[in-house]
Amino acid sequence: MHELLLYGQVPAGRHDQVLKILAGVAAVQPRRKLQRCIIYRPQREPEEPGSAARRGGTQNIAVKQTKPAAAAAAATLYYTKLIQKLSEDDFGTEDGLQQTNSTALSADVKDGEGSMWSMRWEDIPDTGDRGVSIRFTNTTDLLSGDPHAHMIAAGPNRFVTEYYVEGHRFVHGNVIAYLHRVLHEPGVRSLEEAPKTSLPSFSSLQLLDLSGAYMLEAKVRVQDFKEAAVLESGVNELKEFQKQMKGCVELGLPDRLSLDTRVKYKPQHAAAAQGRPR
Amino acid sequence: MSGTQSLMDVTLRPWPSLKKDELNADDLTRQIEQLTAERGSLREITEKSLQDDIIAGKDVPDGTTEEHDGTKETKEAPSKEQRLQDIARLQHEMSGHLEWAKFAANNAVDLLSLVLSADVNKRTVNSFSHTFRHEGLNQGVPFGSFGISRENHDQHVRKPDEAQSLAEYEQRQELVSKGSRMDALDSAVDDILNAAKNVERQVRRETTYWREVRSISDKGWPIQRYRSNVRNVPFAVRYGLPEASDHFKARGLAPLQMDKDGSIMLHPALKLKPKTLRVRISENGNITGTSRLPIEGETDDIAIEKTIQLARDSLFEEELYHEMSIESRQLVAYGVQFRESVIHVKAAEHSQKELLIDCIPRENSIGGSQDHSHDWLAQNVAEGLRLLLAHEHSMRLHRRSQLPPPLTIQKREAPPPALLRTLLAIFKHLEGVDSLYDYLETVARTLENASLRIQLETTREISWANLADSLKESSRNSTSATDQLLDVFMKPFDGKATLSLASSSGAYLEAFVISTRTVIGQPTFGTEHKLSLPSSLVTDLGLFRQLKFSSVEETTSYLDYVLSLHIAHRQLKSDFSSRATVKGNDPRITIKSKSSKKKPAADHDIVVELQNGELKVTASDADSEDLTDGAHHSHIWNAQSAGISLTEMIKSWIG
Repeated sequence: MHELLLYGQVPAGRHDQVLKILAGVAAVQPRRKLQRCIIYRPQREPEEPGSAARRGGTQNIAVKQTKPAAAAAAATLYYTKLIQKLSEDDFGTEDGLQQTNSTALSADVKDGEGSMWSMRWEDIPDTGDRGVSIRFTNTTDLLSGDPHAHMIAAGPNRFVTEYYVEGHRFVHGNVIAYLHRVLHEPGVRSLEEAPKTSLPSFSSLQLLDLSGAYMLEAKVRVQDFKEAAVLESGVNELKEFQKQMKGCVELGLPDRLSLDTRVKYKPQHAAAAQGRPR
Repeated sequence: MSGTQSLMDVTLRPWPSLKKDELNADDLTRQIEQLTAERGSLREITEKSLQDDIIAGKDVPDGTTEEHDGTKETKEAPSKEQRLQDIARLQHEMSGHLEWAKFAANNAVDLLSLVLSADVNKRTVNSFSHTFRHEGLNQGVPFGSFGISRENHDQHVRKPDEAQSLAEYEQRQELVSKGSRMDALDSAVDDILNAAKNVERQVRRETTYWREVRSISDKGWPIQRYRSNVRNVPFAVRYGLPEASDHFKARGLAPLQMDKDGSIMLHPALKLKPKTLRVRISENGNITGTSRLPIEGETDDIAIEKTIQLARDSLFEEELYHEMSIESRQLVAYGVQFRESVIHVKAAEHSQKELLIDCIPRENSIGGSQDHSHDWLAQNVAEGLRLLLAHEHSMRLHRRSQLPPPLTIQKREAPPPALLRTLLAIFKHLEGVDSLYDYLETVARTLENASLRIQLETTREISWANLADSLKESSRNSTSATDQLLDVFMKPFDGKATLSLASSSGAYLEAFVISTRTVIGQPTFGTEHKLSLPSSLVTDLGLFRQLKFSSVEETTSYLDYVLSLHIAHRQLKSDFSSRATVKGNDPRITIKSKSSKKKPAADHDIVVELQNGELKVTASDADSEDLTDGAHHSHIWNAQSAGISLTEMIKSWIG
């Protein structure tokens, strides 16, 4: 599935106004969405770029490499995300009482309910210039088991960090507008080895961007990326929304490389010298 | 005098023409023109013709000849002295004139020069005449000693009558001016008054308009700015429902136009005759029930609000009708017809009852039939349909606010609302379930009367029965309770009847389950009855565990068969355990009578027949060929009266 994206920034002071405008534009009430994102990184270190080409001479007659692209793709490592849908009740209370005492996360759901956990992988956005950012994503809903254990085993991955996203969602035709901001738990997160099984209280979370600014993400999802007409209609709808919001929120293309989800190669000695935790 | 001298020897001769050797083009043309004027066409001027002319004496034109004659006359007129005298006299006269002219001209020059000399810049001696220079300036006449000024005649004393007329004139002028001033003031006052009145009217108009707009707005109608024609129609009211289908949504906006005295004028969209949905029940062609008019709002509303409300209602009813008429095209197979703008819905398969749904102007009297026996039904159907559309509206909002699926090449189309389908499904379901359950109750009572223990439980619709619980459970759901309630009607209808049979030990273990499911559409296209038999019965009698029937008759006849089999093959067999033998698949059992001294043991065929809610048991001698034999018993149990128990009866027959 491909996502067409545009982003805009909303200062904290204008949040309520923008919320109302969006509600008017979409003619629906805002829907509050809370979610927790947990980021995982493959345990394997990425190979040095171009190392495959320089890997020594051979006496064999040069044959065409059968699948260089696939091999290259396999060599590229990506960060992956685990997303948990939350409600206000899921958070802990002020006085430190935890609501759940379970030691492991559980993605089990009852029949007829939507999944609470999903696994999400995002590609680096396309290089094409259509006026919107286009990226390939893959979302897998998890319906049972321990999502953390699943992720650890799937890579194999290791836990990097977790953060929370709060905001309001609107649906306007095929455009999904998500006005949100990122929260995180204060403290040294790099010491954590696994995501918290019981959540801290919502009020103890801190803003990642201390100015309190919100981000507006406008998204159109496209299944048939190969169909030019479908893609075109999606792009047009998103651009229409962009035009409609002009003067309220300036939606624009983010820098492609700022949305890079690949794991960067770091030379060993440099990594050791810097010693920067990721 | 030199002038006179020169005139003495003057001779008059023609003005010497310019001697030119070569004529230039202009001169030539002029000469040709002259020639043409004198002698006609240039072509006729030849040497010969000129010669002829000279000979004929026509050498010069007439005028010139006369002049020549005149000069000749003056020259050669009377005598020479006389002529000389005349000339002298004329000379004298002429010189006198000339002198005088010279003098006058000099004077004029001097005068002008002297006047001009007042200006220092124009003060030159040369501009004066010779004489004046000598005799004036040199004698001490100073420059600028002569002045000219315009004269002022104000001091002029008028004559009395002139003065009087002038005074009168002035007086008249004053009067006229005073009059015109008054006139102007008058008209100014009028204008101001008019303006004031106008302003007052405008203010009153605006006040009225705004009061009405406010009262409309206070009632909760959304008011919005109107872009076109801002001057007269600054606002518009949106009365259409926000989730109506596109066509009706567009109609749901009416500009609030100001009329002369400020009250809101009706827009054509509002002026349209409000319509209403009418549901009638027709039985054998006679109308036996009609739905009522929807209840109107409070009567103390001002007219415009009432109109808006009516327009809203009308729009809603029209949409309802529109959706149903579209839907009716797909439902022809279910007996829905669209004839002459009336939707005919066959309410039940076996009765002649028919629903007639149409949309009529509100003013038309909705009634028209004397029979009101089915008014309740018509009214309920109408209200139900309205509720369903309202539900559809809120579901549209719900669907709209869900995450949209990713775009694909297939276009998503909103499914048409199921209005008639729901109505039909309810009718069909209730009809099927009711007739089935009626039958089941009769059977149960008959069997009870025959002392066969049986227990019947029926639920017409499971989700209706569990409504309260299911609503309580899903309180956290995002949809409102009303929508959840109505959503029940959108799902397939499930009825369930359980017929429990008492086993020999007296516990109700074995149960026939008949579930009835009604869907207008896939997969059943109507009502389907599913009969599940208890497993023990299945193994004992060798039947299918589950069977599906599409009509009540099939179900009941099969149930009759299965029940009579059950009675014959299991109930009676367990009662007469050792003596009974079962042969074949018919509900028939052969029981050996107890052997006594009088009679040898005889076989009795017991035939159990369950039909139309009546249980008929026939016993006959299996050995006797003759059916009219006296050993032929029969008894019928029915639902009404309790009778002797089946087992007792058979025992009494066979001993």
